[in-house]
Amino acid sequence: MKVRSINIGSIIVLTPVISVIGLSPLVKEHAAQAGAAQTAPAAVSTHIAASAPATDSGGLTIPDTSLAINSTQPLSQRVVHYEIDAKYDAAKHTVDANEVLTYHNLTGQALDHFPFHLYQNAFQPNSTWVREAKVSGTRDVGYENWESKLYGSEEIKSLEVVGQGDLTSQLQYIQPDDGNRDDKTVVDLRLSKPIAPGAYVQFKIAFHDQMPETQARSGWKRDFMLGGQWFPKVGVWWHGAWNCHQYHATTEFFADFGVYDVKLTVPQNEVVGASGVKVAEVENSDKTKTLTYHGDDIHDFAWTASPRFKVKEDGVYQGQMGPVQMRILMQPAHWSQVDRHEKILKGSLEQFESRYGPYPYKTITLVDPEPDSAAGGMEYPTFITGDTNWFMPEGLYLPELVVEHEFGHQYWYGMVATNEFEDAWMDEGINSYTEVKVLDAILGKKTSILNMAGATAGEREVQRMSYVGVASLDAIAQKAYEYYSFNSYAGVTYGKTASVLLTLEGIVGEDTMDKAMHAYFMKYRFTHPTKEDFLKTIEDVAGRDLHWYFNQAIYGTQILDYKVTKIETFPVNWYEEKKGRSHKDDKNTVYRSYVWVQRKEDFVMPVDVEIKFDNGEKVREHWDGASHWTKFVYEKKAKAESAEIDPDHTIQIDRNNFDNSYTTEAHTKPVWKLGNYFVFASQWLGQALAWWGV
Amino acid sequence: MVEQQGLLGSGWSRVARNKRYIVWFYILNLALAWFGAGAFNTQAHSILDHSLQSKSLVHGFDVPVLIEMFSRPEFGPTGASHGPVLHFALLFFVLTVLFLPGVLQGYASTYRLPREDFFRACGRNLWRFVRLLFVAGIVMGVVAGVLFAIEGFLVKKAGESTNELLSFEVGVVCLVVIFLKMTTLRIWFDLAQADVVLSDRKAVRKSIGIGFRHMWRSLGRLLGSYVITTMVAAVILVLGIWIWMKLIPAASVGGAIFIAQLILLLLLIPRFWQRGIAVSYYLEHMVEPIAIQPFVPGPVVAPVESAPAPVSTPVIPGTPPDTQGE
Repeated sequence: MKVRSINIGSIIVLTPVISVIGLSPLVKEHAAQAGAAQTAPAAVSTHIAASAPATDSGGLTIPDTSLAINSTQPLSQRVVHYEIDAKYDAAKHTVDANEVLTYHNLTGQALDHFPFHLYQNAFQPNSTWVREAKVSGTRDVGYENWESKLYGSEEIKSLEVVGQGDLTSQLQYIQPDDGNRDDKTVVDLRLSKPIAPGAYVQFKIAFHDQMPETQARSGWKRDFMLGGQWFPKVGVWWHGAWNCHQYHATTEFFADFGVYDVKLTVPQNEVVGASGVKVAEVENSDKTKTLTYHGDDIHDFAWTASPRFKVKEDGVYQGQMGPVQMRILMQPAHWSQVDRHEKILKGSLEQFESRYGPYPYKTITLVDPEPDSAAGGMEYPTFITGDTNWFMPEGLYLPELVVEHEFGHQYWYGMVATNEFEDAWMDEGINSYTEVKVLDAILGKKTSILNMAGATAGEREVQRMSYVGVASLDAIAQKAYEYYSFNSYAGVTYGKTASVLLTLEGIVGEDTMDKAMHAYFMKYRFTHPTKEDFLKTIEDVAGRDLHWYFNQAIYGTQILDYKVTKIETFPVNWYEEKKGRSHKDDKNTVYRSYVWVQRKEDFVMPVDVEIKFDNGEKVREHWDGASHWTKFVYEKKAKAESAEIDPDHTIQIDRNNFDNSYTTEAHTKPVWKLGNYFVFASQWLGQALAWWGV
Repeated sequence: MVEQQGLLGSGWSRVARNKRYIVWFYILNLALAWFGAGAFNTQAHSILDHSLQSKSLVHGFDVPVLIEMFSRPEFGPTGASHGPVLHFALLFFVLTVLFLPGVLQGYASTYRLPREDFFRACGRNLWRFVRLLFVAGIVMGVVAGVLFAIEGFLVKKAGESTNELLSFEVGVVCLVVIFLKMTTLRIWFDLAQADVVLSDRKAVRKSIGIGFRHMWRSLGRLLGSYVITTMVAAVILVLGIWIWMKLIPAASVGGAIFIAQLILLLLLIPRFWQRGIAVSYYLEHMVEPIAIQPFVPGPVVAPVESAPAPVSTPVIPGTPPDTQGE
């Protein structure tokens, strides 16, 4: 993004341009509601001028449409325009399509080659994706055995560059990440003539997809289809080079913003949902129908089709920039949960708009995918998949969790389009953090996942637990495909990031953190920010240097584990105690109490410690944590009864919460309670065995 | 239906007359379970007793806190705490095998079975029960294996349907069939057990055959009775857990222990009721008639008036017969 801005021709306006890309219409129309009026008109005009086509465009341009957004002007710096005419064969699970891609060279330099993602080629036994998934695990398919239905492919039948002729023969598979010659998820096209800075180039691609049974939230299951990552997609020129990674088991996507015009021809009985807005639907004579979708300021396009979807589309959310139609496609057996889905979708829209900024699109499509498919819980621009089951008790909020999370990606990925290959934590992790905040607000801090039959579970603790198990393996700031294992990737990228940012709230204050997140979104929406952009935004808003924290929490693998080691209390004049005389009931006895606190691991962080005395008095101490341990000593007419580190419970990255406190008296009630369950289970098991066995 | 009510009533009266067996089995199970939970309690005490974090387990049930406790290295491997639960449950099963003959003997008695008779029945039938258990294990294992394999296949096939509920519905139907089939087998071996104990039959093979014939002959009555008693157990369990969840405050550990133990005590009753039914059925239909020699009166001979029979000289042991005077 920075490099592309240089191409605009004015380094001076770089920062304001980035900060207001696409913001001008929002500001003009909705500043009052959004509270986002921090743009400079001059910068806006610079941006619009920079987006104008170069003189050698040959008549090519990127449309400045606004059909799919609640804005009269483009919101992003549009680099690509995809026009795809695709035909879906539901029986064969294939897609045949013609794609016209218009690319605007805003890189500031001539481009003589273009890499394209061919994601569907990941689903082949020797691909990097499957190799990694087999050895390190993935969240859906185990690959114990290879089955033909798992096979997917994306084949470019022909590729023509307008003005340069058919260059199909120039295509060459490349493996920039691991050199796996069998991996065909990236293909590079070398042009016969470079594309000048500021110029446009148009590719005409005919391609054929064989979609696999659902893997990585793409493919078919029974008569359901999720068309995700299904078309050749050009890489991103970023930091002075093409950024076009192979498809890895733990990576997702990275692409430029632009305009999508997609025609989908499907059997007439199919119910279809897709990114963007539907602009036309025509029934064909061959029992097919063609649906046309248009998307503005998005960087991907996904669709789904099933003959059995039940649709609710009368829900409209009145957003800060205009109405948002909520289109919900449910499985018939889940129809009773449609209101739950709509409620959490609307609640998420409200929360995100009030916390981070406006949702500018006219639609949001929520798809309840086929049961037992690997299609649940996925985000695409203006299009998300949920995940539920026909039996879903009211107090179990898993559908809410998934819907909220995937909707959150409309912000952290959809609009703030970070590099998911290299900085997965910036979409998944930041999104997990905001997920905790939003679900806390909607469903309660301790009950945002489970609130049933007396049992509770809150999302923030679940995020912490997912991190604790893999605490020492990987840092947050590393490429998504370089994690120790899938579990480590998941625990660190999602859980650790969320926990680290929640802990940061305790350091800078919750209000400050909220402001920082709002500022980050407003500044970097419709751009490709880096981790430094994010961390610096927090420092700027907080007005303090937080490197000490980021170096350990984001860039390092340090572990935080504090412990109250022990408490010792005895009378100051203990030596005067005589047989038969006790200090127990003597209110004038002065006690000396010692409280030892230890930093067990290498993460150094200042902490508060609260010591409670048996007369009800509480004392708060602050310890910088620099040494490995410290000791607090008191002389009072009361005994120290307990000590607790982080009494406000703001630290979410402590590996062991149990030893953060210590009481001098043992409290056995919890064990009695849990022991009762164990005794019950043991007795019940014995009786069940005896019932059937003898 | 009348006969079935009679069977249920008769079986129940035997249970009611011998409530002490249920109480003893309950105490035995509780004692074993207490030992089984000992390892868990020890491990949990070391983590929870002095931590304020454990409060969230008292005033509610914070699942992540529980998960964190299990994941702590100092808690030790979960197998170390969970294993004894299984082991002591198995021990209860073994002791049930040991003491069941005495229970059956007691149910068949019209009087309170003395302790020595109870244990005599246990000892006398132990080896027979082990053999019965072995055969029952093979039969029930094979049948259950086949049925569950069929169920798995059908559910998998149903899962290919676009009707999401179909696999669940097929699964439920299959489980009902499996339950009925396994209950039938349970009836068979319950009758065989009753026959072994009450007929004092050494040939277990023969009891199994007799049990099978009677099970088949009176399947409707017996199965109906067993299903009804099983439904009673299901109601006890569901109602008990509902009360536990809804009426017992989260912080009331004593209340939780009370309701849990009440559920378990009541859950023992239906199974003992089934055994009472088996004994009643045995006594009504399976007792083999005792072969008694019919009394055949001899010919009546009229008394003959004659000289009185000579009185023999008594023989005094140690005294030689007196023959010299004749």
